[in-house]
Amino acid sequence: MAESVSTIRPFESELAMVLDTAYRVALRYTRNPDDAADLLQEATLRALKSKDTFVPGSNFRAWFLTIMTRLWWRMAKKIHTEVDVDAGEEPEVYLYQQCRAAGLHPETIDPARTILAKLDADQVSAAIDDLPEDYRAALALNLLENLSYQEIAELLECPIGTVRSRIHRGRNILQRRLWAMVQETP
Amino acid sequence: MSLTAYDCAETIRRLNDYLDRELSPEEVEMVEAHLATCEHCAAEYGFEQVLLGEIKAKMAQATMPEELRARLQAFIAKARD
Ligand SMILES: [Zn+2]
Repeated sequence: MAESVSTIRPFESELAMVLDTAYRVALRYTRNPDDAADLLQEATLRALKSKDTFVPGSNFRAWFLTIMTRLWWRMAKKIHTEVDVDAGEEPEVYLYQQCRAAGLHPETIDPARTILAKLDADQVSAAIDDLPEDYRAALALNLLENLSYQEIAELLECPIGTVRSRIHRGRNILQRRLWAMVQETP
Repeated sequence: MSLTAYDCAETIRRLNDYLDRELSPEEVEMVEAHLATCEHCAAEYGFEQVLLGEIKAKMAQATMPEELRARLQAFIAKARD
């Protein structure tokens, strides 16, 4: 072909392709499979109805997740919390420190894999679900969808600095929870 | 202009941004320059990278119920007609 034509998939194919990860985000938003199913179904119907507002060639995933996030806010009667200042929290590397203290040295074994192998998917999800709502939402979008901080900021209608601090702080809290779970797991 | 590599604190401070690919190319270069010469930071970065991958993998295990998938696909098919 002489010209390179960027392939634009049909709307319905784009939609079908984002549902799996969107379901996982909905699960973390709602923390409940029934509510997650309701939320995803509502978002799907809304997306089909609002088809004309999607600009072909733009980021479909972000467009769909915006619809779903707005619906979740309404479902959860979410009140916009005050914008927290960018605390710029530094990585505590808590798990790494604990592993070293426990004698799991990176030179000999793979401590991160060893630790996570002790926990199943439900435990990891539960640790995330324990986080405050704003951290949970930012982290779910960060870990499950391939979105930049800027895209997440637009989606959650907050400054990028807020997203950054929620993700970074969320990870610090998450590491402490995961370590506590590992200690409790026989 | 030659860039000065970061020290340990500056490198660790950028850990999450590095893993999330939020650093500028210059910052990535300076982080990697430090990691190439510092075993400590390289071990921490390696640990966090694997950890993050493992967490993502566990989170990706949740799957949509088949009954929901069928319902959504029916909506989509109906809209296509
Ligand atoms: Zn160092």
